[in-house]
Amino acid sequence: MQNPTSNAGKATTIRKTFSRETSVSIPIQADPAIVWALLTNAADYPRWNSTVVSLKGEIKPGGDLELKSTLDEKRVFKLKVKEFEPEKRLVWGDSMGSRVYTITKSGTGILFSMAERIAGPLFPLFAGFIPSFDASFERFAADLKKEAESIQRSKN
Amino acid sequence: MTTEDLTVEFESFQRELKSFILRMTASVQDAEDIVQDTYLKASAKINTFRGESSLKTWIFTIASNLARDLLRSKQRWPENVTDICREEALGNREFFQEAMQIREISPQGKFEIKEHIAFCFTCVSKSLPLEQHLVLLLKDVYGFKVTEIAQIIDQTEAMVKYYLHVGRSKMIEIFDHRCALINKEGICYQCTELNGIFNPKQKAQEELIKIELVREAANKAREQLFDLRMKILQELDPFESAAAELQLHHLEHNRQVMEKYLGETR
Repeated sequence: MQNPTSNAGKATTIRKTFSRETSVSIPIQADPAIVWALLTNAADYPRWNSTVVSLKGEIKPGGDLELKSTLDEKRVFKLKVKEFEPEKRLVWGDSMGSRVYTITKSGTGILFSMAERIAGPLFPLFAGFIPSFDASFERFAADLKKEAESIQRSKN
Repeated sequence: MTTEDLTVEFESFQRELKSFILRMTASVQDAEDIVQDTYLKASAKINTFRGESSLKTWIFTIASNLARDLLRSKQRWPENVTDICREEALGNREFFQEAMQIREISPQGKFEIKEHIAFCFTCVSKSLPLEQHLVLLLKDVYGFKVTEIAQIIDQTEAMVKYYLHVGRSKMIEIFDHRCALINKEGICYQCTELNGIFNPKQKAQEELIKIELVREAANKAREQLFDLRMKILQELDPFESAAAELQLHHLEHNRQVMEKYLGETR
């Protein structure tokens, strides 16, 4: 896990022979309920998230999703929601890997973290074909921060 | 608080309540039934009102819950509801005959573009998820504060802000794409089209320029234009306006078309 203060919003990738893990953390001055609502409303993703072209399905325990990302717009990733702990932890993925979202209360806001690990015995064969996630992760985190804080600040 | 006090207070915002329920349900019958049921429930429960909220907030809570119970079992309308209903209307001679008759003989049978803008929003906003629709109306049309809406829908203030933000964003996007009054590339011309049918001698441009939303279309940002659209709804009572009977007739037509389109029965 990154140092949340000095590397806020900056992605890091750890490469090993049979795996690669990218992660990012960013503080967000917003209620955890707002961040969770943004993360779990699939149809609304393209509106606020510049890394997502479309996200179909329902983000609920065991829910099936179809994700099109700006990383590779020709590909549709079929994912399953593996863990769903309201306002704390969301995990979705497929057989090759999982993306983990965590929300941790921090002061008057939260610390948002996102990590994705791709691994397996065949990983070395296709590792070269998987684009870097770093820029995409940083944009995701920045977009979420911007949207959540905008909602939090909206007038009463 | 006595039942007499409740009755006096209820009557002071009954019109607002009825208009709110109409805009939620798009049904005059449902609006009347829910307003009546709200009063009966409030009367029966008046001893439980402890003044933790205003009476108006408490009454709107009861009404919103009744509306939600009704609407939860129904599907939301598609964004292009006005296109679908227009196609049906074009093939429905009886609809136009009735509308023309209302236009000719009813004191509330005028066609005014402003009223149609409000009508259009009533239909299109039913494409929002129920909670977003409810919150958007309560805040932007009926002037409730976030804290009051949180009480009405039994949610946190954070979630009210979320629903409001997402609901507004969605509506702004839809109207920016669809509404030819604010966007030259807009795909929907119904306001001016119907004005041409019901007011053939009127110069549409002269009427349009009287409406601030249209006048400012080139000068203001999308969010500000949406606020101007909401201002139209704030200022119009859909039951008391000069175009009320005509617009309610149109709304009932659309409600029936949607019921058939979505495969629902009353």
